[in-house]
Amino acid sequence: MDNELFMNTEFPPPPEMATHFEPPPSSSSAMMLNWALMDPNPPQDSSFIWEKSTEQQQQQQSIFDSALSSLVSSPTPSNSNFSGGGGDGFLIRELIGKLGNIGNNNNNSGEIYGTPMSRSASCYATPMSSPPPPTNTNSQMMMNRTTPLTEFSADPGFAERAARFSCFGSRSFNGRTNTNLPINNGNNIVNNSGKLTRVSSTPALKALVSPEVAPGGEFSRKRKSVPKGKSKENPISTASPSPSFSKTAEKKEEWGGKGSKSSEEKGGKRRREDEDEEEGEGEGNNNTKPPEPPKDYIHVRARRGQATDSHSLAERVRREKIGERMKLLQDLVPGCNKVTGKALMLDEIINYVQSLQRQVEFLSMKLSSVNDTRLDFNVDALVSKDVMIPSSNNRLHEEGLQSKSSSHHHQQQQLNMYNSNNAQLLPNISSNNMMLQSPMDSLEASTLARSFTHLPTLTQFTDSISQYQMFSEEDLQSIVGMGVALNPNNESQHMKIEL
Amino acid sequence: MASADKLINTDVPEKDVFALHFLQSLSNLRTQSPLNSPNKSIDRVRKIKKAAYVSMARAAGGTSRLWSRALLRRAAKDDNKSVRFSRRKRKVTWKISSKRKRSNQRAPVVEEAAERLRNLVPGGGGMETSKLMEETAHYIKCLSMQVKVMQCLVDGLSQK
Repeated sequence: MDNELFMNTEFPPPPEMATHFEPPPSSSSAMMLNWALMDPNPPQDSSFIWEKSTEQQQQQQSIFDSALSSLVSSPTPSNSNFSGGGGDGFLIRELIGKLGNIGNNNNNSGEIYGTPMSRSASCYATPMSSPPPPTNTNSQMMMNRTTPLTEFSADPGFAERAARFSCFGSRSFNGRTNTNLPINNGNNIVNNSGKLTRVSSTPALKALVSPEVAPGGEFSRKRKSVPKGKSKENPISTASPSPSFSKTAEKKEEWGGKGSKSSEEKGGKRRREDEDEEEGEGEGNNNTKPPEPPKDYIHVRARRGQATDSHSLAERVRREKIGERMKLLQDLVPGCNKVTGKALMLDEIINYVQSLQRQVEFLSMKLSSVNDTRLDFNVDALVSKDVMIPSSNNRLHEEGLQSKSSSHHHQQQQLNMYNSNNAQLLPNISSNNMMLQSPMDSLEASTLARSFTHLPTLTQFTDSISQYQMFSEEDLQSIVGMGVALNPNNESQHMKIEL
Repeated sequence: MASADKLINTDVPEKDVFALHFLQSLSNLRTQSPLNSPNKSIDRVRKIKKAAYVSMARAAGGTSRLWSRALLRRAAKDDNKSVRFSRRKRKVTWKISSKRKRSNQRAPVVEEAAERLRNLVPGGGGMETSKLMEETAHYIKCLSMQVKVMQCLVDGLSQK
């Protein structure tokens, strides 16, 4: 609806407008309110001015003319609607005067123009003293369009007053209109006069929206701060039409392609889009204010030229996450650097994973084939290389030892290994018995890892295997007997070696 | 890449840990089935393969990774055992990949590849795509480590 405020090109003729000129000026907002109430879209003309100055000059031209003609040509003022004039009536008169000047298509508007002229002569830097020329050509309109604009811009009080004027079109103006705008804003407006020509609405809006804000440079900051985030609007949120204005101002910025928001998932955005009250807006602002909210929200800023829909923003975040992880994967998978594009890279990754899994399967097949004859050695290698291995390691050796107590001929080599380490093994065997029965699941990987810091690397296995040949047969018997005696419960005593 | 790795932790233990777990599982295998005497090589291969995967899952961090958790659960289910899961510190993402709010939004190319990945990586069915990629990275690392261990073992054993 607030869009309608600015986009509505209809201009319902307010016959009451003419009545303003009759009553004496008095600063009563009630009168203004009444006037506004009568005409739900009164400030369209002023909004027209601002809007057209920015973008839509051409298309609003004819509409403006017709509207103005209807406005100016309304013959009968009805005094009943207005309790009194006021500074606001003053404003309206000025506005209409300006409009008449722009419209240039009315002859009987002399009286209308006369009044504001007389009263507001002091306010206008460039007087509208000359009666509007009766010509109606478009070109002249265009010319006149620019000149009144410069007049507008030159008028320090006008922008502010027009802004106040335009505020009545907002949804919520009941008792919240700020009529205490300091009239000595002249400095501020003068400072911003340069900006008025470009996006004239914004300083006007800001003038209205932040009456209590410090004047002057604040305006430019406000303009820039709108795209920067909602958090800046916290001080403004207390002003009455701020929700609508902030929205519209933002929308203006978005139209310019500079959509930016900080979204709390979708909550903040939804609050924005709803017709919320100040409190809702304030809450949303408060939530976006802290940079790191306590909840798990990810703050995203919409990029220029991109959709600011919350869904698309979340999509974008997701895409970025996936892309980042793909980069990770790219480093892992060899040969992925040349491939560009997500699809090819993903194919590459899938192929790699498949190849790894096939490799595991192949190696396990190979292991099973060598297992019967050779698997014992790995255990021995562990023992041979490091005699200082803590007891936890030795349970492996113990198991291997016992499982090999069969009459497998290769066992003797392994058992012979123990001969050299007999001294160290014996005290450990009892402790190993405990560990033998303990389920493997209970062993923490961390503790094992720590205990295996001394573990020789697997590449050393090949070296240790060469040592196996030297051992004698007698050692085998002794060690087998030792193992069997200490572990009578071991099922491996069944002497069935599989795998 | 270092900065990215800080956010996504894909650390994998050293080869020794993998070797240890694998050897443990192998020796467990030996003690486990003397009675059954599975002479068929296929069974043996399957057992070794399973031992390899289980040991890899354990070496990679037990139940702290989604894929390892799924692997262990699958293995335990086959053996009619139960796996003890430690308390998950991280929040569970409840997003199910099959459900999609706006089906056209996700890039179909990425999604179909993700589907294939899900079939490969254990436990991938319940993960979102970005999480899936993370798990895949860790899985690849662990797989390559396991392959290295097994390769060394085979080389060591076959050299004799």
